[in-house]
Formats: sequence, C-alpha cells, structure tokens
Amino acid sequence: MGLSSATTATEAIKLCIFDLRRGQQEGQELDKILFFFPAHLPFSTQLSVIGLSEGLITFTRIFSPEAACEVIEAERHSHVFYEAEPDIWMVMVVEKNETEAIWRIDALQKVLKEVHSLFLMFHGSIRALLEKEPAGGLIRSHLYPFIMDYLRACQKRSRLDNCCWDFLFGKKLLLPSFRDCLKERGTVQMLTVSREAAIEVQSLVKVLESCAGNTPCYSLILFQDLLVSTTLSPVDTINLFTYAVLRLTPRALSSGVGSWSYLRKGSTASHVTTGSMLTHSASVSEQVYGLQDTSPRGDNSYYVARPLQQDRWSKGKDGFLVTDIWGAEAGSSTSVTPTVWLQQTEERMYLCAYQYRSLTLILLVPVVSIFNGEQGVSLLKQHVLENASPKMLKVEEKLSKGWGGENAYHVSGYRYLLVDGDRNVSRASPPGKVTTLTKESLLALNKVREEVDLEKHQMESDNAHFEKDMEVSIRAKNNAWVIARITKGKELYMVLEKADETLLYASDAVEKFSNRYCSGAFSLD
Amino acid sequence: MLLPVVLVLGLGPLLNQWHKPGPYNCARESETTQFGSTPRLHLLVRHRERQPRRLSAAFRFTTGRRRVHRPHKTHKPPRLSRSLRNSQIINPKAESYLIFRRFLKALQASMSSDSTSGEDLSDPNPNPTPTPAPKPLEDEFASVALAEPHNEVPEGQEALNGVANGPLAENNHREIESSEREGDVSGVEGRIEINLEVEEARESVQRGVVWRRTNSELEDGQSSPSSSGYAGERGSTSASSGGSGIDGIGEDEIQEVENEGSVSGFSDSPATWVPGKRHLDEDDASISWRKRKKHFFILSNSGKPIYSRYGDEHKLAGFSATLQAIISFVENGGDRVKLVRAGKHQVVFLVKGPIYLVCISCTEEPYESLRGQLELIYGQMLLILTKSVNRCFEKNPKFDMTPLLGGTDVVFSSLIHSFSWNPATFLHAYTCLPLAYATRQAAGAILQDVADSGVLFAILMCKHKVVSLVGAQKASLHPDDMLLLANFVMSSESFRTSESFSPICLPRYNPMAFLYAYVHYFDVDTYLMLLTTSSDAFYHLKDCRIRIEVVLLKSNVLSEVQRSMLDGGMHVEDLPTDPLPRSGSVSPHLGQPRDSPERFRQSYVGIGGPAGLWHFIYRSIYLDQYVSSEFSPAISSSRQQKRLYRAYQKLYASMHNSGIGPHKTQFRRDENYVLLCWVTQDFELYAAFDPLADKALAIKTCNRVCQWVKDVENEIFLLGASPFSW
Repeated sequence: MGLSSATTATEAIKLCIFDLRRGQQEGQELDKILFFFPAHLPFSTQLSVIGLSEGLITFTRIFSPEAACEVIEAERHSHVFYEAEPDIWMVMVVEKNETEAIWRIDALQKVLKEVHSLFLMFHGSIRALLEKEPAGGLIRSHLYPFIMDYLRACQKRSRLDNCCWDFLFGKKLLLPSFRDCLKERGTVQMLTVSREAAIEVQSLVKVLESCAGNTPCYSLILFQDLLVSTTLSPVDTINLFTYAVLRLTPRALSSGVGSWSYLRKGSTASHVTTGSMLTHSASVSEQVYGLQDTSPRGDNSYYVARPLQQDRWSKGKDGFLVTDIWGAEAGSSTSVTPTVWLQQTEERMYLCAYQYRSLTLILLVPVVSIFNGEQGVSLLKQHVLENASPKMLKVEEKLSKGWGGENAYHVSGYRYLLVDGDRNVSRASPPGKVTTLTKESLLALNKVREEVDLEKHQMESDNAHFEKDMEVSIRAKNNAWVIARITKGKELYMVLEKADETLLYASDAVEKFSNRYCSGAFSLD
Repeated sequence: MLLPVVLVLGLGPLLNQWHKPGPYNCARESETTQFGSTPRLHLLVRHRERQPRRLSAAFRFTTGRRRVHRPHKTHKPPRLSRSLRNSQIINPKAESYLIFRRFLKALQASMSSDSTSGEDLSDPNPNPTPTPAPKPLEDEFASVALAEPHNEVPEGQEALNGVANGPLAENNHREIESSEREGDVSGVEGRIEINLEVEEARESVQRGVVWRRTNSELEDGQSSPSSSGYAGERGSTSASSGGSGIDGIGEDEIQEVENEGSVSGFSDSPATWVPGKRHLDEDDASISWRKRKKHFFILSNSGKPIYSRYGDEHKLAGFSATLQAIISFVENGGDRVKLVRAGKHQVVFLVKGPIYLVCISCTEEPYESLRGQLELIYGQMLLILTKSVNRCFEKNPKFDMTPLLGGTDVVFSSLIHSFSWNPATFLHAYTCLPLAYATRQAAGAILQDVADSGVLFAILMCKHKVVSLVGAQKASLHPDDMLLLANFVMSSESFRTSESFSPICLPRYNPMAFLYAYVHYFDVDTYLMLLTTSSDAFYHLKDCRIRIEVVLLKSNVLSEVQRSMLDGGMHVEDLPTDPLPRSGSVSPHLGQPRDSPERFRQSYVGIGGPAGLWHFIYRSIYLDQYVSSEFSPAISSSRQQKRLYRAYQKLYASMHNSGIGPHKTQFRRDENYVLLCWVTQDFELYAAFDPLADKALAIKTCNRVCQWVKDVENEIFLLGASPFSW
C-alpha cells in the first residue's frame, strides 16, 4: 500500500455515521461509530472527526435548537451534516484541494440523504437494526457493504484505471461538483408521452394490477432511464427510480455486460476490501464492523444482502431480471426474490422487475399476501407474462416511436434545469450539452444555486407554507446569463451563453422557454 | 495595564518628555495646576457619591500624577476569569480529542440544565455576581488549553514592561487600579476621570483640552470613549471629562439634533439606538442571550474573552473557551474553520494571529458580509491598540487584553450598529456630504494649506460624511480606515466636548504604528481630524485648527454644511425626467431647483421615484466614494431601511463573489423588491424598486440615475482627492 496513495484516499473524502446516544461513557466512544470510510484510518482520526462533529452539533444547538449543525466550512475541507434519523448523523468530509473540487453543500447533503433512503428501502431504519442488536454488530455489518457499494457507484471510471479497480487505493469519487449544477438529485426524470401512448400505459398498469389478484400491488414503469408511470408514493418512487437507474435499466445492466471481464475483478476487489485487509488497523476495524469471520465454520457472522453491488443483476430467459444478491433458495438454483420496504405503507414488498428492450417494469407485491414464498412469486410472474406481455410490447413500441433519443430534451441555445418540487420531478439539458458550457458559467450557476438554496432554507424555517417567489438574472464576467427563477414550488435554472447583452433579451428568452416548455409557469403575466 | 502596551506601541518618545524638563511639560504642568484642578475636583466630588473607589485614582491623576508610583502587585478584586488561571496548559495536539471531549461534555451539561446543579459544569455561571469565581467552571475548563498567569496583573505587566522603556514603565502602574473592572459600567466610568484635563488660559471658558494618552492619560485614549454621556444609563457624567459643557453643547442638544436628523430622513443613526453595551446581566446560560440575533466575540488564542457584544465578557469565559476549542481543534487537524451553519444561524470565524473573532448570527447576511464585519471589528481594535498588541501575546500567551480595551465597548457597539445602516461597511468606500463645488473647494484649500505644513491627513467630516479630505503627498487613506476612525471619534463622547489629541492607528495605513489625531468639533455634527506622525504636534495642530476654523467661518462652509444636513442628499423623487444633462443648472443643490420639487414630489408620494424607484447607491470606483439616495417614503421605517440595506449587502456579495470575479449585471426580484445592480469599470449602481416595477422601465431609470449622478458629481463627490490614487 503506497503511502501517498493511501493519503490521497483518506484526504479526499471521509464519510461517517454515528449515533449520539451511544458511547456516552468515557473510553467507549468507539461505540458511537456505526460506519467510517475510509475504514483503515486510525481510530484516533475517526474519533476526532466524530468528536468535532458531535461538538459542533451540541454547540450549534445552543443557538439553533431546532436545526443543529448542517455544514462546517474550513479552508481545506467542507463537512456536510445530515441527521438521517433522530440522533443518528451522517457526516461527509470532502477536501477542497483541487480546482474541480467545488461543491454545492445542498447537493452533497442530498447524496447522504439518498444513500440513507436507499438503505431504509432495503434494510429498514438504522435505529431498528440497532435495537435488534444493541451491540451494533448487525447494523455495522449492514452499513459497511451497503455504503461501500454505493460509493463504488460514484467512483470515477477513467479508462486507465480499469486495471486497478480497488476503491481504497486513492481513487477519486465522483461526487456532485459544480459541473453537476444542472442536475437535481432526489428527483425523478419523466418521459413525455403522447396522449395515445399514455392511454396504452394506463391500460398496462391496469392489467398489471389485475395480475396480482386482490392483493394491492404497485407498479413502476421506466423507459430507458426515464420514468413513465408510477402508482407508488413520491418518496418510494424516488427510491425505486434511483435504484432502477443505478442497477436495473438496460443501460445499468449493459455497463455490466460491457465490462464483464472486470466485473469479477470488481466483486473480488470488494471482497478484498471487506474481507482481507492487510493492515493492522483495518483488521481491527473489521472486528468493529463485525465483518470478519468469527464463527468457527468460517461464515460471516451475519448474512447481509448487498443490493447495491454492481453487476449482479442480469436478464433471465423469461424477461424477468434475476440476481443472486439475496442468495439462492435452499436446495434449488433459483435465486431469492428481493424484498424492499415501502416508506409510505411500511410494508415489505417483493420486487419483480421485467425488462423488454428499453422498457423496464417493476412490480411490487406485499410479502404477506404471497403465501408460499418463491413459488407464489413465480406464479405471479407467470401471470404477468401471460396477461401483460402483449400490452408491454405495444407500449414499448409506442414509446420507442415517440422517443427522441438522448438529446430529446435539448432546447437549443438553452442549458437548463427544471425542478418541480411538489412532484419531485426534474428535467434538464442532456449532460452532453451541459459539458459545452464554460467552467465560468457553471461556477456562476453553482454559486447562484447556493444562494437560492440558502434563501429556500431560510424561507422554510420561517414559514413552511409560504412559497418563495424570486427571480435572479446575472450577467457573469464571461457575458453568460445565469438565471434562476423560483415560483409556486417550481424552480428553473438556466445558462445562456451566446445571448445578447441586455437584460430584456435574457428575460425574453426565459419567457419563451417558460411558455413553450413549462406551460407558462415562469411567465410574468 | 494599559499603559505599558501603549509604550510598546511607540509612545515612548512622548512619555519620555514627561521626564525631561522642557517647555512642553512646563506648560502643561502649570496649566494643570492653574486651571485643571479646580473643575476636576468639582467633578470628583460628584463622582464620590457613586464611585468612591474610583475617586482616589482619579484624584491622583489630576493632582500629583507624576509622583504616584504604585507597587507592582496591586490588589485586585477576584474576577471570574481568574478561575482559569491555575489551570495547566495541556498540549492540545497531544490530547486534542480528550480536550474536545471535555468541551463537549461541558457544553452538553450546560445545555441540559438551566438551574444550578452543583456538580460539574451544568451551569457555567451560576452566580449572578461577577466577583466570585464558580469553581466548577474553573475545573472543567482548566483543561481547554486555557491558562492564565498566576497573578494576572503583574505578569501582564511584566510582559509589557519588557518591551517598554524602562523608566517610563514605572509610571504606568498607577493605572492598574483604574483598569480593573469593578461592576460593569462603573469601572469604565471611573476611568473617564483619569483624563488629564488642561484648560488653556486663552480659551479657558471656551474649551477644554483633553490630553489623551500622555503618560497617565494613555489609557484615556482607549477608555475615554466609554465615557458615559452618550449612553442613557450613565448620562449624568457626560460633561465630566469634557471640562464641562461650557461650549453650550449639552447632551440634550445632541440628542435633539439626532432626533431631528432621523426625522428629516437621515436615517444614519436612528434616534432610538443608544450606543453602549447592553444586557450585561446575560451570559450563555440565559435564554435571552442565546436568542440574540447577532453576537460578536473577540477572544485571545488562549480562550480568554476580550469583547462580547452581549453579556459580560468575564461571565462568558466558559463560552469563550469553547470557541477557542473549536478553532484550535480544527487547526490541529491542519485546517482552519471559517463557517459553521445550522438552520438560520451562521457562526463565522476569523483568526488574526493571537486574536480570534467570532460572529454568531441569524440575520441571513451572507458569509462574506459577516466576515467583512469581523475584519472591521479587528480593524477597530487595531485602531485603538495597533498590531503591536500581538507582542504581548508572544511574551505571554495568557495575556489578558480586556483591560486594554476597557471602556471601548461603546466604540464597538456603535461599529456593530453601523453594520446595519452604513453602506460603507460593505462597499469599502466613503460618502461625502453634498455641497456646492465652490464650498467644498474652499474647505479643501485650507485643509491643503495645513497638510503642506506637516499634517499627514486633514479630514473635515459631518457625522459619517466627508466634507473635505486632504492628504500629504503619497499618503493614502483607505475608506475602511476612515470608517473606523470616524466611528471611533463619533462614538466617543469625550471628543465632542473638548479638543483632543489621541494616538490612533490606521490599520490599512500602518497597522504597527500609532498616528496622533487631533480632533475638534466645530458643532454637534461637524468635526475636524488632523492626523500626524509626531507625538508632540498638539500645539501645531491646534494652531492649524484655528486657522481652518477662521477660514471655514469666513467662507460660510460650516453654515453650508448645516444646511446640507437639513436638505439631505439626492431624493429619488427628484430624478430628472428629461434625458438632457442639466449642465447649466442654477440650482444651489444637486442640480435641482429647490422650489419645484415639492410639487414634483407629490406625484410620487408613497411610491418613491419614477418607475417605482425607491432607493439607489452609486459607487464611484476611482474615487472610492459612494452616494446613497435618501429613502423614499415607501421605505421610511428603520426596519424597512435595515431590510433594504441587508438586501444590498446580499446583492453586493453576490456580485463580488470570489473565484469567478465580479458579475456585470444582476436583476433580482423577490417579494420585497426589484433590485438592479450594474458593475462597470467606473462605477457600481445598486437600485431598489417596487417589487412590481416594470423591468424595462427600471432599466431606463437606472440609466437616468447614472446620468443624474454624473451631472451633479461636482456636488456629491470630492473630486481630485481620491485617497487611493493620490
């Protein structure tokens, strides 16, 4: 382990989860730590990160009891806080060492929020797992692989690096930087469908529901990486959508296929990180996380499913997606059907995903309503195939016909992000087009977004019901217009690089865009 | 305590004079005996009733100053901060985590219990009286790398004396007693009395001369600002230091004028605001203290409190230690904490060598603004003490600085108040009083005369607005320095009542050295400041002032100044409608015929100027000056004005954000305003409109404002005197 590479790894990002209710006694501080990345850091360093975080949470509560510390900005690092569950904090420390490392705090906070939401969906709340096993081994053994798998998804994949896929050796993470200021995490991207197609989709949803018989079930339909329809609550929709885009959609699957050669490498590498760390401190930390083999038989003390593990999903012969993440049924080769928790109904659901070309269909059926386990699930799948197949073909065909390709939502001359906060939906210029913007423009927009974030927070803490209405148009040093408009829960961010000098021109451009693509939501009249 | 520092700072030569027989000293001596002592005695008697302990000190100073020699170890009443003095220094690096754990526990404890639990730290300050040191605090925070000298007073002094000129240092000990804090306000008040007052024969009836910071008076330079009078609760002593209100300018009158000012639209310093420190009874355990919207703290790097906007510094020792712990904890990790955000609250840190400054605010001001305010507070501190104070910390890390700043609360509180009304605090520019070109020329000419005779800067000001300003060749005056200097002079009541000669430091000019400021008020608002490097220039500057005064009176400058104060500056209602420049305007004021506006304005009553224009600020970049319009009726209340001010501040920060350079234009609309900002190489314009204002019209109006400003720039700006491009 090269020392320098190890340092860069430790310096670039630290991520920890700790429970303020634990380790209150002197000498038992380690008990607080539920997760720490990088795990090989000495405990003294880990404790000092958590000590500072805890100290400032306590300190800020003196003045702001209702909202404790959200961020520490230091010269070289930003510490981003998120209270995932009462007294359970996630803190991310990112280094600002390079010119590219310019973050928007809100975007980083949303990363923490996202990983926690996903965790909730698959494993339930951290507190519940802690209560199940107060020693903490259970939660640690869940958090560690889960978050490591999640971070691995953020890992920068430069071509040169393919040969060495180990996360802990100085790889950079692709955290949302200012270059992602025209994206909004925690929202869903929708496909715009024609009226005709919408009716088809509607009837498909009906058919799917009927497949489950009398049990209430939910469905989620995606085309490419875009959402077509959902019957889930908004929060569950976001989680499943995120997961689907990360691991289930054709693109997510094919990235695995394309790199099959190193998929194995990837999975062994992850075993390396969790199972056979060589350094002294690391093996100690594994004991803490309960990851090391402790049972005489050599099995892990806990069996933990790793739903975020890369390239573990594949398309089965019947069109349903299969994975061995959740293990295999004892005595048979069929793998166990994954289950997820819905936040809305607090129910555990079977997750069945079907894929036909670009169409991905997710069906969620309550575990309690299926009596004979895996058998019941396959029966259900059978039902779906029999009843819904023709519909699915039709829908796929219709959607493909109307699909404008990757740049479907590009509006020439504009680089934009449109967020509907009420529906948690966003639409943006295609990433390929956003990269044409200069760094200055992106930095300027990033800054404006920061200002708007602050205003929104302040508005939230003042009066939850009051809706912010504001407009900011800035002509930056490089002559680009950077625009933010907030109205009635909707937000529009825009960069116009080759625009005219006058403010009126810029306003006109926004007006046109608003009338044409936002049904006039941002028009002044 | 104070004196030694002054010595360090370069007052040696001045002080030396005291020991040499010479015309300078003789004159003073005789004056003191002849005229000085009588009025003092009178005052002292008045004080005796309230301040018996102070009396002796004051008396010594007025009479036998030079013979008084105090022993090194002066008895001091116990103070809270002493609770820390026996603590051991723990190497924070080695045990940083441990320390932080304790700090954490301390915090948690202090949070959880409101009442006194005798146990550990639950209440850092269970005792309402400042005197006895609560043990728990001492024990707990002992570990926070805080340490005080075993015996504060002598140690602090030793440190200072080491640097100071030997013989002179001895003279200083007399101050020790007076610099101790006894009760809150009273200690400060007492010190005022130490002013050595010399009444001159020639003007014995007219004016008193306050000699500041000569020998014993050294302290006065710092402490006298505290002088009462201004603050309501200590009102009765106001006349004391001044020798008396002989001028006929009583404090009531000042109050009156201020009221008038604010009514007539000079919202500069709203009459309701009373400078000085309030809520002294609070500490970090009080709910009211925690709910204050904006806290400012100065502390030393060993965690000793130096200044707190609210609450008694000494009661906040524990809190101060916590702040220090946060800063040093992050520092030990090889980083430097800048900002902590929690909900609506921001905690902003600024480290300046051994001095830590912290602001805790929920005012929604941007980080950059709050940081700028901390910079100004630090600058204000340097103005009083110079940067040489760092040496005290080098000598003795546990050095207690509070006594050095004793009595300057009022200077800081008035600066902090200006953060919410004075655009100069974020624009880094100064503003001029509108005057006819010829009038300002006349004032400038005589100031130039004086400057040629060895004065570094000659500044004639009316409140915070410059009437005229002249600097010696190659000397440039930074607008921030002007702001701090004007604040220092205006907030210190004693300057108003007598001509004064005080060491001050201009942090942007030379943070290490003192200059000497001769300050004289011509009337309640108008004052002259003559800055020199020479410590014995008092008489020369006095002569200069007399010459200036004669000319100013002769050429009616002073009456014009007063008239301008009454008329106010640019009214948005007066914005010319025709696009043609009014070059040949005969109007006496700002290019507007003074008889027509009444009618003209009526059409805009309640809505401000054309196109819903409510207010604007125009900053000339080359001149380092800005002009701010009067507030239109739409923003007449001080609350509205403060909100607008904050909106400008935000706009400024947004336009000038670091990294991507200044933006060119910004349009911003929210529920309160339409704001337009336009930054060019020559100027910056900030304009506020009605939130429903039409964009196109607003832009047009901004263009007209720029034209208007250019038309009247002779009257609203001081031309040819840019302090930077001298």
